[in-house]
Amino acid sequence: MTSIRQQTPVSDGKASKDSSTEKPSNYKRLSDDDLFRHSSQYRFWSFTPEQLEQKRIQVNAQAVQSIEEDLRNFVADNKTDLNEEEIKTIEMKAVPVTAEEELKLINLYAKKVQMIAQRLNLPTEIVATSITFFRRFYLENSVHKFEPKAIVLTTIFLACKSDNYFIGIDSFCEKTRGSKEQILKYEFPLLESLKFSLFNHHPYRPLHGFFLDIQAVLHGKVDLSYMGHIYDRCKKRITEALLTDAVYFYSPPQITLSALMIEDEALTTRYLELKFHGNNPDSSADEQKTISQDISISLEKLMTLIRDCKKIIEQSTNTSVEEAKSIAARLYFCQNPEDLLKKLKKRKHDEQDSPRAEKKTRVE
Amino acid sequence: MSQPEYTKEKKVGEGTYAVVYLGTKQSTGRKIAVKEIKTSEFKDGLDMSAIREVKYLQEIQHENVIELVDIFLAYDNLNLVLEFLPSDLEKVIKDKSILFTPADIKSWMLMTLRGVHHCHRNFILHRDLKPNNLLISPDGQIKVADFGLARTFPSAQEILTSNVVTRWYRAPELLFGAKHYTSAVDIWSTGVIFAELMLRIPYLPGQTDVDQIEVTFRALGTPTDKDWPDVSFFPAYNKLQIYPPPSREELRRRFIAASENALNFMCGMLTMNPQKRWNAVQCLESDYFKEAPAPSDPSTIQIS
Repeated sequence: MTSIRQQTPVSDGKASKDSSTEKPSNYKRLSDDDLFRHSSQYRFWSFTPEQLEQKRIQVNAQAVQSIEEDLRNFVADNKTDLNEEEIKTIEMKAVPVTAEEELKLINLYAKKVQMIAQRLNLPTEIVATSITFFRRFYLENSVHKFEPKAIVLTTIFLACKSDNYFIGIDSFCEKTRGSKEQILKYEFPLLESLKFSLFNHHPYRPLHGFFLDIQAVLHGKVDLSYMGHIYDRCKKRITEALLTDAVYFYSPPQITLSALMIEDEALTTRYLELKFHGNNPDSSADEQKTISQDISISLEKLMTLIRDCKKIIEQSTNTSVEEAKSIAARLYFCQNPEDLLKKLKKRKHDEQDSPRAEKKTRVE
Repeated sequence: MSQPEYTKEKKVGEGTYAVVYLGTKQSTGRKIAVKEIKTSEFKDGLDMSAIREVKYLQEIQHENVIELVDIFLAYDNLNLVLEFLPSDLEKVIKDKSILFTPADIKSWMLMTLRGVHHCHRNFILHRDLKPNNLLISPDGQIKVADFGLARTFPSAQEILTSNVVTRWYRAPELLFGAKHYTSAVDIWSTGVIFAELMLRIPYLPGQTDVDQIEVTFRALGTPTDKDWPDVSFFPAYNKLQIYPPPSREELRRRFIAASENALNFMCGMLTMNPQKRWNAVQCLESDYFKEAPAPSDPSTIQIS
């Protein structure tokens, strides 16, 4: 998948000027896939794995550069006051986090976004939009510049408004125990980082479509209540997939098919085989022909693609709290080296008083 | 921002949530309109209408939908840079010094429907189509504008507000207060606009919401369960006066210049039952567009 920016305006459906009822020979409707390629989701937020990695490295490198400069300036400005141990502590402890570490922290907070949004009883689509907004924000910004904790509530607040599910700021703050000023303060930076692109195609709609189509194609061969179970499980699976990088590499229906594949491989394979190679007694020869004409990809290729996507979805994005805490601590000390020194002094002081009392830094 | 890329030269309008200026894009000299969203007035952060406008315009690039050229933040305000569109269909309809022909109307309908179709195939409902929101570019292209009420196609369980669309252009399902409706509401509005273009006066000008029901059904007949199953289950239905649908002859008399295909086209869009109402593709493929006269070349239509 390459991110081609297609700027050509779409025009079709043009009525021919002669009065014949025949469609012109070059008549062709745009496929859903064509339309998706014009969406902002595809234009701005679809990448190859290499592009995505590059993007993360770049965002991190930029932030690290400015953090390191600040730290150098801090040491230079306080040169006369700092002793060797203090300088060493800064060098050792105030180390900017790497792109990989940033990702770990973001993954953890993306799960938090999901949890809070679900606790607010938001519709599935809005939970999905919240997660999506949050993760995209950190494709443009480093955790060095914007503390993830501070962005969480703003993404949910904006996702609600963007998806037509308005919750007033006062009531939102009451429910989330958030700070009104902080939530509103980040609304603009968030919107800007999202490149003002708010329209999301989530894989739930394709799920509904496949769900109906599987029942049509495998009519009489699938149990309805079983399909209901599969549907619910896929829905959960899709929400989890939104926490992975699959969303940047694959289109929503591809993610849906992968989720279906995880839940019932035999059923999904059978459905796709029938879909591609026909043999459906209910559809006329004409219909079969149109189906194969519309399909621009071979079954083998699609299966490979689904399997690759499935692998990414199944990879865990779990970050341990301990690990997240240590990353967050470094983030904090990079920005506040003076607190690192205070801590050092305090520890030395405490050690003199009672050697065991080592207070834990509270970072969250 | 030392040298602003966009200048605001003249204030041309002020709405509840925005002020519109005419200006120039400095680097190219292109004329543009800047819609400045008044953010400070909203305690809940960015206004929903502004968010909708950004969300949908950012998604759509089509010759017949207004172009969102750029977005920028300045002095705590959100600014939408839009293409400059000097006129709109309402102005043209009202300006009695402008003469337009059936071929011109056909051209406008074609452009409008292409824009509407593009919204619909991107799963977007406009929900406020009216002559005033169909802007006209200097080269005569119709541009669907004002996405402040737009929304994504709802899923089956979602409950919608029926309080959308400017009264005269409101589809019967909305008049009945339907909690679920489809892109068919935009097609109804388009049908009413078509009628208005032919009559050159508003076709269904209800004075109040209640009167709108009266005016609509008097002109087009009260829907019954026969052609719209279960329509009588709407709470507002029992209070209705039952009017018969107009005969073909009556329609011909009302729309003197309309061909049979033009009347079919209009009736397709103004079908009471939203499920039977034509969709954008059916409209675009109708015989009305295939028969003479051919739609005028947009750049030749007089608009001022």
